[in-house]
Amino acid sequence: MHPELDREGALARLLRELPDDVAEPYGFGEFQHRARQRSQSRRTGGLGPLLALAAVAGVAAVALWMRFGAPTPRPQVAVVTGPISRGAAPATGASAPSEEAMERWLASLPREPALARVGNRAAVTGLEDRIAQLDDLLSAARAEQGQPAQVLALQQERTRLVGALVQVRYAETLANASR
Amino acid sequence: MTRLADTGVSEEVLARACAGDDAAREAIYSALAPATLTLIRRMVGQRALSEDIFQDTMMTFYERLPQFRREAPLGAWLRQIAISRCLMHLRSPWRRARLYLDAVRLPGAPDEAPPPVTPPYAGESIDVERALATLSPTARAVVWMYEVEGYTHQEIAREFGRSVSFSKSQLARAHARLRAWFEPQDNRQSCTLN
Repeated sequence: MHPELDREGALARLLRELPDDVAEPYGFGEFQHRARQRSQSRRTGGLGPLLALAAVAGVAAVALWMRFGAPTPRPQVAVVTGPISRGAAPATGASAPSEEAMERWLASLPREPALARVGNRAAVTGLEDRIAQLDDLLSAARAEQGQPAQVLALQQERTRLVGALVQVRYAETLANASR
Repeated sequence: MTRLADTGVSEEVLARACAGDDAAREAIYSALAPATLTLIRRMVGQRALSEDIFQDTMMTFYERLPQFRREAPLGAWLRQIAISRCLMHLRSPWRRARLYLDAVRLPGAPDEAPPPVTPPYAGESIDVERALATLSPTARAVVWMYEVEGYTHQEIAREFGRSVSFSKSQLARAHARLRAWFEPQDNRQSCTLN
């Protein structure tokens, strides 16, 4: 043990005796130069937070519109009639890989946000519910060998909803990170 | 060590500086900047970060100088700004995120403490520096504020926005760690170069 550390006030004395020339500050001219630079960057950088705020507000508005204002997708499989060709799987096109990536990203997020806010929560649960409905419809359509065009329409609608969900949850992670 | 809190300047220089006189501001800078940077360096450790906080502190100091009410030495007022800036850094989410990233070390990476800020010719002080460097930034700030700057536990708790027991427990743990550091060297694993 340090010979004096157990004595009353020994640590304070040792700390106060540390040399104070550990770092010589730059001169006043350099200080003024840096201050001017920082003031300029503050002025020009002031738009950044405003743009970020506008982007988050835009995403939230789109999500709310989709939740409360967008037309509900029609259950097109319910009106399917006519001949069904066995084994005609729908071509989901180039959207499938990106949708998989989006879903992987969504799966990597915590199931429930640490702090649930009513606005976000309503949008997220609304979108998740509609995606689940579409999943049911898609499963039914595939099981019944539905028309490829209608299955494709359902698949595209699902991709659009997953994209919206990604945007809402991304905005949520940004908002959490900035807190 | 020069204590920033005890440092003052003449009333005439202060009045001129408040009126925007550059020569007077430079005189104040010469008188107070070294102790300010030393304080910040002791509190946060890293050189580049210290200079960043120092610049921010001095800019705030000059911006607010006309509001200085002369109830305490000018150095004490500047010290308050500097400590507040250091604690703001310690509390920032960016720093917490960085701490998290730093904690995720690659397997086999050395677990080294930050290097001491005192040059190695300084004799006994190098031990104290190394011991301080083993503390977490929060514990180091609490130790420095309590032991050197003379803050009470109540004042530290207020600055951190935490309870008095937070300050007391941080200090007690830091003391225990420092005592352990100064245990006889043969109890500690040696480090040799092959």
